[in-house]
Amino acid sequence: MLLACTWRPAIAPLAQAGPAAFDPALVRRGANLATLGLCANCHTTQQSAPFAGGLAIATPFGTVYSTNITPDRDTGIGAWSEQAFARAMKDGVGRDGSHLYPAFPYDHYTRLAPDDVRALYAFMMTRDPVRAPARANDLTFPLGLRPLLAGWKLLFLDHDAAPADAARPPDWNRGAYIAAALGHCAACHSPRNALGAVDQRQFLGGGEAEGWYAPALNAKSPSPIAWTRESLTDYLRTGIAAEHAMAGGPMQAVTASLAQADPADVRALATYIVTLMGKPDARIEARARDAAAHPVVLQPAPAGNNPAAQQLQLGARVYQDACARCHASGRTGSSGGALQLPAAVAVYDPDPRSLIHIVRDGIPPGPAEPGRWMPGFANILSTEQITALAAYLRHSAAQQAPWPDLAKQVAAANQDTASK
Amino acid sequence: MTTPMNQYALNVNGSQHTVVAESDTPLLYVLRDDLQLNGAKFGCGLGQCGACTVMVGADAVLSCLMPVSSVGKRPVKTVEGLGTVQRPGVLQQAFIDEQAAQCGYCIAGMIMRAEALLEAVPAPSDEQIRSHMALNLCRCGTHMRILRAVRKASNKMAGKA
Repeated sequence: MLLACTWRPAIAPLAQAGPAAFDPALVRRGANLATLGLCANCHTTQQSAPFAGGLAIATPFGTVYSTNITPDRDTGIGAWSEQAFARAMKDGVGRDGSHLYPAFPYDHYTRLAPDDVRALYAFMMTRDPVRAPARANDLTFPLGLRPLLAGWKLLFLDHDAAPADAARPPDWNRGAYIAAALGHCAACHSPRNALGAVDQRQFLGGGEAEGWYAPALNAKSPSPIAWTRESLTDYLRTGIAAEHAMAGGPMQAVTASLAQADPADVRALATYIVTLMGKPDARIEARARDAAAHPVVLQPAPAGNNPAAQQLQLGARVYQDACARCHASGRTGSSGGALQLPAAVAVYDPDPRSLIHIVRDGIPPGPAEPGRWMPGFANILSTEQITALAAYLRHSAAQQAPWPDLAKQVAAANQDTASK
Repeated sequence: MTTPMNQYALNVNGSQHTVVAESDTPLLYVLRDDLQLNGAKFGCGLGQCGACTVMVGADAVLSCLMPVSSVGKRPVKTVEGLGTVQRPGVLQQAFIDEQAAQCGYCIAGMIMRAEALLEAVPAPSDEQIRSHMALNLCRCGTHMRILRAVRKASNKMAGKA
């Protein structure tokens, strides 16, 4: 019985090498879907040819390397029929019958419409074939045994269609489909259970990606100011939303990919997401808007000699000396171009990981983009100063309760850098 | 909000200095205006070009971003600390040999970023040199000569050339 569940047959290779004939319109449609599906974010690396794979993806269970999905016959998917491609996308099974690791987000792609799978196949099979053998994965025992994945899929691979609501307009439904199937937003923005599966009960309730907090996109959204369809569309297409945030860490590559997608699709995605978010607390929103409009000074640190007050006083000095030049408008002729921190989502996050990353590593410009982002302060500020700064911004910019594990999280970020 | 004038004791290129400055004054301004160390350059003032790179402790640091109040006891090293016109340091000589400067504006920053690498990693790979130097920009386009100069200095320090 178990064998019957786990075993999947190989699908015969295509008889002929070389690209088959595809309708150019179908290929173009597939190109758009590939940008919405973020295919290149994992299957193209800085060193690799497009879609030739090789990206190391760290998981709690070990390292998985992305594979070559160019139509190279021996090392890519050149021998894959459309049937084999569709089975991989929807069931996570390779052409040879082996189970694929869910670092490949087939638990989301399984909701793809058959027409879209066909278009993606047409797009991938018309790319330049590149010879690039896959690197062996490095997983903790016994997870290197692929048949175990059949059990994972029995538990967690949910073939239900994307959410749809006939009472909502078509672009909302289009957005819901993009979020659930192609964009696989929940892969980072939802919590995962102990076996690494997305917790569907907390869909888009906040998760993590590469050590960053991926904010909740549902009613738990930490943004103090309500996102609108317009601000979220801007953010997803440019990485910048003046009243909220600049995309940092893994989200930078997401917005770089969405920048190439059909703008109507990105707008649909934003239309859907903002309806999930609900409204922020009115008092917090009013305060954030007001503080962001008059941010010459943040609320000062409390007086006092106790350690907590002294830490906030140090944080205030660090803010004044290192941050205010750009983040406080009206201070000098050229200041204030940067995000106003009482509005910045990262200081309202439930944990400080993203803020620590932004302060330490900055937000570098994307490849071939002009420098316009934020520089990192890892070598400029000490661990004590960064910790104090984060505590101060939490206290004065967000006016929220202190983060409990702040010092531990700063130490973890130091470790993370040292190990790279 | 006013920023107070304070005294700061700085160790720069092995010499002790005392400067009076507002706490948010960038280290770059102190080096150039107070100590007349004009090697490090003001490029963008936003930490995006690297022309102001100096070493603070073991790290290459963008001195336009670093408030003088954050230096603390860490020693500062600038391009002037590597050698003199008569006796250039190893990296400086390698940059001369490879004719790595065109207009020269970025070069002090390039040399100091490279110095931080070679002090930490005596025999870096070409890939390490490239990724370490990536932050510093050169608008003349002498990147390939700069990479050769760093390679040359690294070989020389390792006794290979």
